[in-house]
Amino acid sequence: MKNWKVYDSLYSLIVVTLFLLIASGTGYLFDQAGFPETNIVIVYLLAILLISRFTKGYWYGIVASIAGTLLFNYLFTSPYYTLAVDNPSYIITFVIMTTTALITSAITTRAKKNTIKAQEKEAETKALYNLTSRLTDALDIHEIAEISTRMLSDALNCKAACLCFDENGKPEDYYTQQSDTGELVYIKIEDAIDLKHQVEGVRMGYVINEAFYDWPIYGQENILGIIRIPVEKAEELNETQTRILHSMIENTALAMDRVYLAYQRLKSHEETTQERYRGNLLRGISHDLRTPLSGIMATSEMLIEMTDSIDPRIDMIKAINKDSIWLHSLVENVLSLTRLQNGKLALTKEKEAIEEIIDQSIRQIKKRIENVKIRVTMPDELTLVPMDAKLIMQVFINLLENAVKHSPNVKVIDIIVELAYESGSMVVRIKDNGNGIAEEDLNNIFEPFYTSSTKHADAKNRIGLGLSICETIVKAHGGEIKAKNREDKHGAEFIFTLPLEDGNEYIQ
Amino acid sequence: MSTFNEMILVVEDDPQIRNFLCYTLHNEEFNYLSVGTAQTALNTIVSEQIDLIILDLGLPDFDGLEVIKKVREWSDVPIIVVSARDQDKEKANALDLGADDYLTKPFSATELLARIRVAFRHYYKTSSSTIQTKAHVGELEIDFEKRLVYLNKEVLHTTPMEYKLLALFFRNIGKVLTTKFIIKEIWGTAYGNDTQALRTMMAGLRRKIEETPAQPKYIITEVGVGYRLVEE
Repeated sequence: MKNWKVYDSLYSLIVVTLFLLIASGTGYLFDQAGFPETNIVIVYLLAILLISRFTKGYWYGIVASIAGTLLFNYLFTSPYYTLAVDNPSYIITFVIMTTTALITSAITTRAKKNTIKAQEKEAETKALYNLTSRLTDALDIHEIAEISTRMLSDALNCKAACLCFDENGKPEDYYTQQSDTGELVYIKIEDAIDLKHQVEGVRMGYVINEAFYDWPIYGQENILGIIRIPVEKAEELNETQTRILHSMIENTALAMDRVYLAYQRLKSHEETTQERYRGNLLRGISHDLRTPLSGIMATSEMLIEMTDSIDPRIDMIKAINKDSIWLHSLVENVLSLTRLQNGKLALTKEKEAIEEIIDQSIRQIKKRIENVKIRVTMPDELTLVPMDAKLIMQVFINLLENAVKHSPNVKVIDIIVELAYESGSMVVRIKDNGNGIAEEDLNNIFEPFYTSSTKHADAKNRIGLGLSICETIVKAHGGEIKAKNREDKHGAEFIFTLPLEDGNEYIQ
Repeated sequence: MSTFNEMILVVEDDPQIRNFLCYTLHNEEFNYLSVGTAQTALNTIVSEQIDLIILDLGLPDFDGLEVIKKVREWSDVPIIVVSARDQDKEKANALDLGADDYLTKPFSATELLARIRVAFRHYYKTSSSTIQTKAHVGELEIDFEKRLVYLNKEVLHTTPMEYKLLALFFRNIGKVLTTKFIIKEIWGTAYGNDTQALRTMMAGLRRKIEETPAQPKYIITEVGVGYRLVEE
């Protein structure tokens, strides 16, 4: 470093001496040839211009300007070979000569500085352009890291390194670095997590570590990786280089973001396709199951009628009938669910009188279940509430079926409808006189396929799609559903709400 | 039960449901024929004396709705439509095209027979020329001449529109009336398809005639299709 500076000064001194010697020599020839002295002055000025061009900084130009004038005085004005002058008009020549020389050297030096700046700028632009154009083709994060490492090493003339984070923001175990041979090597990093924590604290800055200065690569949402510049280089980065470094990090971040985004889009596209495929499959299967199930239900019913009530076979037929009814309601539920999950299909909402929905739900239940008493309490005033009639009916049927299933032989179910104007919703409560819900089940009762942890999975407690579908339907309407135990007596209570006004609800 | 020797045509492609239908009809000593496609159904209707058709809407060759349209061009034989639960539109369409009633799969023998009974009764009532002056369902009674409605033998105050609506139901006891049909009959075609006005009026009427409007005894709702005044 110091040697380099000495070498630089030496070089400049040689340049100054050389050009002044040449100018003096030429002046001597001109003098011998009898050319006017003005020509010699011009030759000196040319020499000073060239000196400024080939040396660094203003100082050499200034020194050369004064030396030039002195040499001219010494060599070419009488009395020769002294610094004295006979003709006072020479003084004016000297002053003008010195001034001209100084200005020339200053202008030249500045022009040269500008050129260097422009060249640096060009190099910077070029480096960034190269980086960007290469990054555009990069297909994955590691390729980006490698390109950036290489380009940064070239641009800053050092051995840059890069550590990537995976899509979950976890640092990888290896970072890539430019080696002595110009190849990229992967080096294991021990304290990657610590490093991540360190860089998480800074924005637009860096962290100083033992061997590296670490710059985080900020993506749109989180840190995507770390650019590492060796300490010895990082310490002496000039303004331009810092700028290049920042721009390159930014470009790397953009490229990494793009890759992650493309990856995520692909993934979510795949997921939706799969989801749709699954939905269609489920829908198709359910649809096809329904027809034979209707047949089994009808045939078993027919058989029950054909069979003597003391015939031992009647119990088996009744079991077939009961199971087919259960399967049928499961299929109906799956169909409702797939209809909602298809997502695109918005609810076909119309303003409905809730009593009509309750009426038909109760009739459906009573078709299959005897000895159940259902009491309905309604507000006197009529309110039409926007809803998808078929789906809300499914909610009632499922909740009633659930209530019936968990009630003793004498089943009393209460349906209470209230209007809560202050919250702009209709509140429906369905209460049964069963054993209520176990504490540990209360929180997950609406989860699909959740079966009570306290009971054996017998025929009565098979997978519960029903309640989960209720939740999906009610939420799609912009309402809420919850379950609790009755406060007044034994039994469970399900409460759901529906907004009185049609908002802009969407199915998630 | 069968006193007139009626011939019922069963149009159903699913063998299980067809067996069930035929068995139920056989048990009740109805005469019946059964076919599995729309085309054979149409052929049979033309060649045989058919008194009632039980028609599945999902037939393998063509749409059951087409069968209704074709049959209604020249015959008013009662048609009971059989369909799946999520086919409300088809049901309403079938009824508007001229079908008399519908059954939703899965249905029971009792339901089927009730529908057949209503269809026959209605058919013979409308084909006989005697003009009805009074009708009643349970404790609800209508006097067409005096234009009065009685509930528990007492005069029930109704608005002219409500009377019109009740009269429409009493002329079609046991039959499901589509919302579209009711609106057309009560308000006329100009009214379009405003189901809300009908719902509101229905709710008002229920509050007058039913003890518990959410568990009505007289006029029940067929969600997505229409209303029905139950027969006793």
